[in-house]
Amino acid sequence: MDKNYLLLIPVLLPAAAALTLSARPMRQRGPRDVFMAAILTAELIFTALCAAVVDGDVVVARLTDELYLTLRLDGLGKIFSLLVAFMWLMSGLFSHEYTVENPRRYCAFLLLSEGALMTLCYAGNYLTLYTGFELMTVLSTPLALHNQTEGARRGGVKYLLYSIFGACLGLLGFFTLRVYGVTTDFTPGGVMDLNKLTGHEGFVLTAAFLTVVGFGAKAGMFPLHAWLPAAHPEAPAGASALMSGVITKAGILSMIRVIYYEFGTALLRGTWVQYALLALSLVTVFLGSMLAYKERLFKKRLAYSTVSQVSYVVFGLALMTPVAFTGAILHVAVHSAIKDALFFTAGAVILKTGKKDVRELRGIGKEMPVTMWCFTICSLGLVGIPPLGGFVSKWYLAEGSLSSGIPIFSWLGPVVLLISALLTAGYLFSVTVRAFLPGADFDYESVQKREPTWWITLPLLALTVLTALLGLFPGIVCDLAAAVAGTVC
Amino acid sequence: MRDYILIAPILLPIAGALAAYLIGRRSKKARDCFADTVGICEFALCAVLLACVSSGREYALAVDEVCGRGLRLKLDGFRAVYALIAAVMWMMTTVFSNEYMGHYRNRNRYYLFTLLTLGATVGVFLSNDLFTTFIFFEIMSFTSYVMVVQDEKPGAMRAGETYIAVAVIGGMVMLMGLFLLENRLGTLNFDKLLSAAEQLPDRSDLYLPGALILTGFGAKAGMFPLHIWLPKAHPVAPAPASALLSGILTKAGVFGVLVLTSRVFLHDGLWGNVILALGTVTMVLGAVLAVFSVDLKRTLACSSMSQIGFILVGVGMQALLGNHNTLALWGTGLHMVNHSLIKLVLFVCAGVVYMNTHELDLNKIRGWGRNKPLLNVCFLMGALGIAGVPLWNGYVSKTLLHESIVEFTALAGSGAWIYKTVEWLFLISGGLTVAYMTKLYVAIFVEKPEKPVEKKPYMSVMSALAIAIPALILPVMGVFPSHIMASAARLMEAFMDPTLVWRDTLHAAVQWFSLENLKGALISISVGAAVYLLIIRPLLTRRDESGKKCYVNLWPSKLDLEELVYRPVIEKALPFLGALVCRILDNLTDWLTAALTHSLLRQKPIPPRVDGDHEPGDFIPHPSRSYTYQRISSSISYSLLLFGAGFCAAMVYLIIILIMRY
Repeated sequence: MDKNYLLLIPVLLPAAAALTLSARPMRQRGPRDVFMAAILTAELIFTALCAAVVDGDVVVARLTDELYLTLRLDGLGKIFSLLVAFMWLMSGLFSHEYTVENPRRYCAFLLLSEGALMTLCYAGNYLTLYTGFELMTVLSTPLALHNQTEGARRGGVKYLLYSIFGACLGLLGFFTLRVYGVTTDFTPGGVMDLNKLTGHEGFVLTAAFLTVVGFGAKAGMFPLHAWLPAAHPEAPAGASALMSGVITKAGILSMIRVIYYEFGTALLRGTWVQYALLALSLVTVFLGSMLAYKERLFKKRLAYSTVSQVSYVVFGLALMTPVAFTGAILHVAVHSAIKDALFFTAGAVILKTGKKDVRELRGIGKEMPVTMWCFTICSLGLVGIPPLGGFVSKWYLAEGSLSSGIPIFSWLGPVVLLISALLTAGYLFSVTVRAFLPGADFDYESVQKREPTWWITLPLLALTVLTALLGLFPGIVCDLAAAVAGTVC
Repeated sequence: MRDYILIAPILLPIAGALAAYLIGRRSKKARDCFADTVGICEFALCAVLLACVSSGREYALAVDEVCGRGLRLKLDGFRAVYALIAAVMWMMTTVFSNEYMGHYRNRNRYYLFTLLTLGATVGVFLSNDLFTTFIFFEIMSFTSYVMVVQDEKPGAMRAGETYIAVAVIGGMVMLMGLFLLENRLGTLNFDKLLSAAEQLPDRSDLYLPGALILTGFGAKAGMFPLHIWLPKAHPVAPAPASALLSGILTKAGVFGVLVLTSRVFLHDGLWGNVILALGTVTMVLGAVLAVFSVDLKRTLACSSMSQIGFILVGVGMQALLGNHNTLALWGTGLHMVNHSLIKLVLFVCAGVVYMNTHELDLNKIRGWGRNKPLLNVCFLMGALGIAGVPLWNGYVSKTLLHESIVEFTALAGSGAWIYKTVEWLFLISGGLTVAYMTKLYVAIFVEKPEKPVEKKPYMSVMSALAIAIPALILPVMGVFPSHIMASAARLMEAFMDPTLVWRDTLHAAVQWFSLENLKGALISISVGAAVYLLIIRPLLTRRDESGKKCYVNLWPSKLDLEELVYRPVIEKALPFLGALVCRILDNLTDWLTAALTHSLLRQKPIPPRVDGDHEPGDFIPHPSRSYTYQRISSSISYSLLLFGAGFCAAMVYLIIILIMRY
């Protein structure tokens, strides 16, 4: 049997585990969490194994001769799938202590959405990607709805509607590509058929733009970003971390596939589509940071921060230069790690103290030192303070932007990124300062240790170390990304 | 070249910081000893490195794997001297901290961040690539913030806010400059910047990145108009931290300005004039603020600002004088060294005062220093040094700087009056230095205290050593300028002007104490005496109710750049505008959806529900509140009404058109 069939394991394993979980009533917390940890670890191992072994693609199901589902592993898929598996493991560990009501449902949908994401990462053609995208939307909505409060319900529905609207736009791209493309299999550099294209550029460009904006809904790109701040505050912290840190990146992956592997940079470069995307991404970068700066709910602040940070990546992609592409991919990894850690912190604080507003966090650093130290280091990374993660990716983005030669945006981009970094510093350091420097009149007697157990601090520490490593030695991710960039740009 | 020894002076304090933190959790005494040991080891290491460098060796190290673009370090004369100065300052202040910080809370944190700052600062001075400089510079900014806010009082928190805001904004602006500079020159490596800049056809392209980078470094150096953090942060920080902030962290900013001046804008007249102008304003403004101030550490902080102005004037002169800038090079380098050492002495003395009295107001600590000969002498050494009195070290560097201005005035031709003015401002600022140091000295050590100060030991032997040793160095340096100062200058000059390799340096023995050179110092001292006797004594003191003379600060408190401009704009106006625009954009999609659901996609009314509960899965908004409106708005008669209104509007339009036509 073809070794490429290995790709099915990471896709099906979580789904199978989820079914087991729902069929066999694992009511006891202990066995269930051990089971979760085991499955998620196995998933990570299999993903790594696939990344090492698999080379090529495998057709999974044929609907008709031209419509088929196919899985394939390329450089991009490797980076994203490893990221997904790792973050899911972290969140799985975190969820042990961060208890929710009805944990079996929570765990089952956590696993199911991981399977859907893996489909997306391994997708070899547009149809598979679309399937994965819709599956992921549907299967992750219960995570957003999980707490069943009024806010959660509203946020969850908003998430669902925005995602489905975005996916509909994505479908438009699929139809266009079926007509004007040679194939819909992902091909570095694009699949457009130049003969058919002549005379219909305007229509195809519009379709390309709408497709990218549609997938951008998942990545929280303006104007379809509003689900993020609505859905996050009420979801369980483990789920918010994944939605913010990883699921938004699924939107990014879809955008990369559409821009670089379907429509192709040759078609889009220098057109209004590129400028519009650059403009939208910069608006989002500023908007997210500004509103995060003004926001007082801790988790909502982080959600707005995600809106801003993910658009750094979109900006890098829209520039369509190899250096910016490398920076964008690096930022995907960095932001995933950091945002997961930040949401874990917010979750740990809510779990241990019930405080949701950043103004209540005075002196929390004395009560939960390890947690808040991780928060501080990660937020330094997010602002882009060297030598931590965000710094190098931002440097690449700015370098790619300035050398791209695009009028106005080439210098406006870095300026907006830096203003946003400034606002990021404003909304994250104020938390740190309040946490660790409560003031001379602080009542040190009232401090009691509230540090969470290893189930929370271990993932936090791992993510913090990852943030530092990505800053100090970004080479591994950068080399992979640069190799991909070499083929597609 | 891969001289791994260069990592040692950076990693030693960083590793020491972490170790000290862990030790401090077990035993405070052990932690103090350990921190001192780290300081002393660092000093020994830097001293050895300086010895190696002065015998003619250079070290370089490139670590390509780190941070994406690699770190580049290099050790030459200038950097070896400055690494050593940093090590000396940290050694002395750490030793002094043992006693000074004795009663502070969170001391473990203080030691952790102090030592981290040491590592980062040495990193800045060793860097050989603006990318590397930036990395260490940012680390330094953030770790030193914790030193500023150590005691967490509201004043300290506010000053810390200013400090971190200036640092972050400055850092971001600088980063933008670095992006642009790299984009235009293709490199940030100090060794390649010069040739890259010279090959550029149009050098005016470099002014924008240059200005942006200058903003970042200038903010740290305390250059006008970004000096605002200096007078705020120093009085509230613990004295050892103030000594470091003022003595060495500002020099990290100056280091960056020097790099720009010597590598990117070598001998560039316009650049020189800009630096000269900013430097002159900083110099004068700092001195004037210091004369007005009645707070011991605030005076010293303003003095630091003023002295940085002197240094920047020297930097400007380096660029203006072109191939004849040796005097300016020597003056700049030596004034940096002198100022670091002098401020170490003065701030630690201020620390001794504060440690015992917990006051910094001159009226409250008046006369406290009487009958304390050791403190008296040490403070006097620092005061004489900074005032530029002959036989003390400050005289040597100020004379060199003054001579360089005189030299350029002779060359300048038609614009000479500008530089003549700068020369007079220079001498007057020197005079103001004399005046405010006299004010401090007289207030603390000469005037009679309100109530007799009880006699008791006021500092430990270790602290005394930490003050006395650097204080002793100052006159030694001043008395034998040709030995210590000239050889330090020879080590430093090549860094500040790479073309010096092909030119002659100052070979002839400088006539340090010739009449010509003494004249400038004498003018300054006379101005200082006049200001003290004619302005400070009669005008800046008042008699209080009990008839006692006391010092008052007559500087209008409204006239504060930070409160007047920066804070209102950055805290209020900009966020308000930004948030307003963003809120509108943020809600755009939601409003659009709402508009659609109320017009084209109007929902059918739902019968009101009796129970207020929602079923899970029921996502339709509860209709009760707007029920009446919905009933009306969805009725046929309402639709007819709207249709009629629209019809009327159309008719009116047609009638108007008809009237217009005829």
